[in-house]
Amino acid sequence: MVKMIVCIKQVPMATELPWDAHTGTLRRDLAEGMMNPACKHALEAALTMRHLHGGHVTAVTMGPPMAEEVLREAIAMGADRCLMLSDPALAGADTTVTSFALARAIEIFCPDFDLILTGCHTTDSETAQVGPQLAEELNIPGIAYVDEMEVRDRSIRVRRFSDNFLETLETDLPCLLTVNTLHHSPRYVPLSGLQDAFGEVNLLTVKASDLGIDPESVGIKGSPTKILNVFAPRAEKENIVLKGAPKKIVEEIFERFDTKISGIIKKDIKREGQG
Amino acid sequence: MKHKLVRKAVREFSEAELGPIAHDLDRDARFPWEVVEKMRPLNFFGLQVPRKYGGADLDSISYAITIEEISRVSGAMGLCVTVHNSVGVYPILKFGTEDQRDRFVPRLASGEIIGAFCLTEANAGSDAAGVETHAVQTRDGYVINGTKIFVTNGGVCSLPLIFAVTDTAEPTRSACVFIVESGTPGYSVGEIEDLCGMRANPVSSLFFEDCRVPGENLLGKTGDGIKIALATLDTGRIGIAAQAVGIAQAAFEASVKYSKERQQFRKPISSFQSIQNMLADMAVEVDAARLLVYRVCALKDAGKPFGKEAAMAKLYASTVSTSVTGRAVQVHGGYGYSKEYDVERYFRDAKVTEIYEGTSEIQRLVISRSVLSELM
Repeated sequence: MVKMIVCIKQVPMATELPWDAHTGTLRRDLAEGMMNPACKHALEAALTMRHLHGGHVTAVTMGPPMAEEVLREAIAMGADRCLMLSDPALAGADTTVTSFALARAIEIFCPDFDLILTGCHTTDSETAQVGPQLAEELNIPGIAYVDEMEVRDRSIRVRRFSDNFLETLETDLPCLLTVNTLHHSPRYVPLSGLQDAFGEVNLLTVKASDLGIDPESVGIKGSPTKILNVFAPRAEKENIVLKGAPKKIVEEIFERFDTKISGIIKKDIKREGQG
Repeated sequence: MKHKLVRKAVREFSEAELGPIAHDLDRDARFPWEVVEKMRPLNFFGLQVPRKYGGADLDSISYAITIEEISRVSGAMGLCVTVHNSVGVYPILKFGTEDQRDRFVPRLASGEIIGAFCLTEANAGSDAAGVETHAVQTRDGYVINGTKIFVTNGGVCSLPLIFAVTDTAEPTRSACVFIVESGTPGYSVGEIEDLCGMRANPVSSLFFEDCRVPGENLLGKTGDGIKIALATLDTGRIGIAAQAVGIAQAAFEASVKYSKERQQFRKPISSFQSIQNMLADMAVEVDAARLLVYRVCALKDAGKPFGKEAAMAKLYASTVSTSVTGRAVQVHGGYGYSKEYDVERYFRDAKVTEIYEGTSEIQRLVISRSVLSELM
């Protein structure tokens, strides 16, 4: 039996990314939300684990009231209960204070866990930091980018894919894993599950004050990270016309672009030429 | 929030499972059993069936959204699901005995068997009393003779509901609905019709030749046929209206996308007012049709009469579907007339929404009767 927590986040749909041109931030109020894809894979991994070993799955999210939708979806997919952390004081939290708040909520409301699963990253901010930071906050082992996992008594053996390497690691429970999107393709949501998800469900909503934390230490006030600006990168192209005899032009190309060509063919052409 | 999630869930499924094959299903007139297999555990075949029979027990707006979203990707599969749920399952739930519900509904709700409702004949359709399929009562049941045509799901259903009369001289008073199980001697399926649209749905004739049906398969009582048919069609119209909205929505979205991509006179055609006007009208009409559908759903769930509102939703949504898909072809120009683009399929699929489950003319009849009796 494995007692699991899955942290899920509501992110804007990839097709809808309305930016506020003045503040350089995402207008979350305008975007249709969805469960972050990697979080959905983590939830699927947890449901599969429960199917194999028994136990229960608690879905946890932090976000504005509308984020409750992803918890209802998690219940529709099969999660047993949900914890919602929602408070205007938490708005604008960076990854550090998000992990801090999630850790306190888990310690208070679901301390008895074996395994925490999170997505390996989110599609909105792509930091991939909350999972590892949460492991630090809870002082448990954390392994990122996991695609396969196998519980063996009180330990877990996982395979992770990172930097083009596959690694097999083993650690004791409790621990935290961030799950990538290579395996554990999420199941479709059954319609009966959706009907149930809006009936009597075990969904607890808590505020910052329920966590016994200073409101000044969380949210945008408590966040050490300040986003100064968000912008789309500009790619600039320059057209250069070389004139003259072909031999001369080729020499000039190599002269002007030796570093770039070396990079592309992965050989230092100057050294090769000298050699 | 629930309705948004239902939309997302059905859209995700439909786009992933039907999206890549919808064009080919239409071209090949193939019914996708492999998709049906995946739909079964997700409760697509028991949308409003109570839990004790294995259904999802959804409210009517969720039902309409489900049909809308399937039809947005594949009108033909939207048709299969709505016909199964509304006119295949609903009459047994509403008018069936406990024994009939226990025997048939769980198998229908799980999608193990697919349902259909057969009213139309060569000389009967809008005029239900013109039905010639005849049932003769025997000691232990009925013997049915007749031919039903244009049966949606005809080629794949295993439990058609048959509208027949026991006395052709008194069709209205003797009308009955029978539950016929596949494999019953004398029941056979005709060739699949070669239709303009909805080609992935195997619409066919069904033949009944001395087909013996046990007495316990009579739905309701002798003479209940018209009542059952009218109630069934009221419900069925909600599904067809939702289907029409889904097809129109797909055509509208395709038009917006294409108008931004297609360049003429060195500008996207969406920058021209003539195209903008078309898109604006399409947006308004699709939304208005959708709201009419949701209103009738809300009335139905509140237990209020909804026959007139179902007819209004069906009439308007089907008219909008035909007209929006027509304009979608126009926005696409020559490409819209090519089978390479999906709007050509939407255009063909939309037309029949003005015909089945009561033609637009019959909807106007239902609506006018109602308004004439309501208002002094």
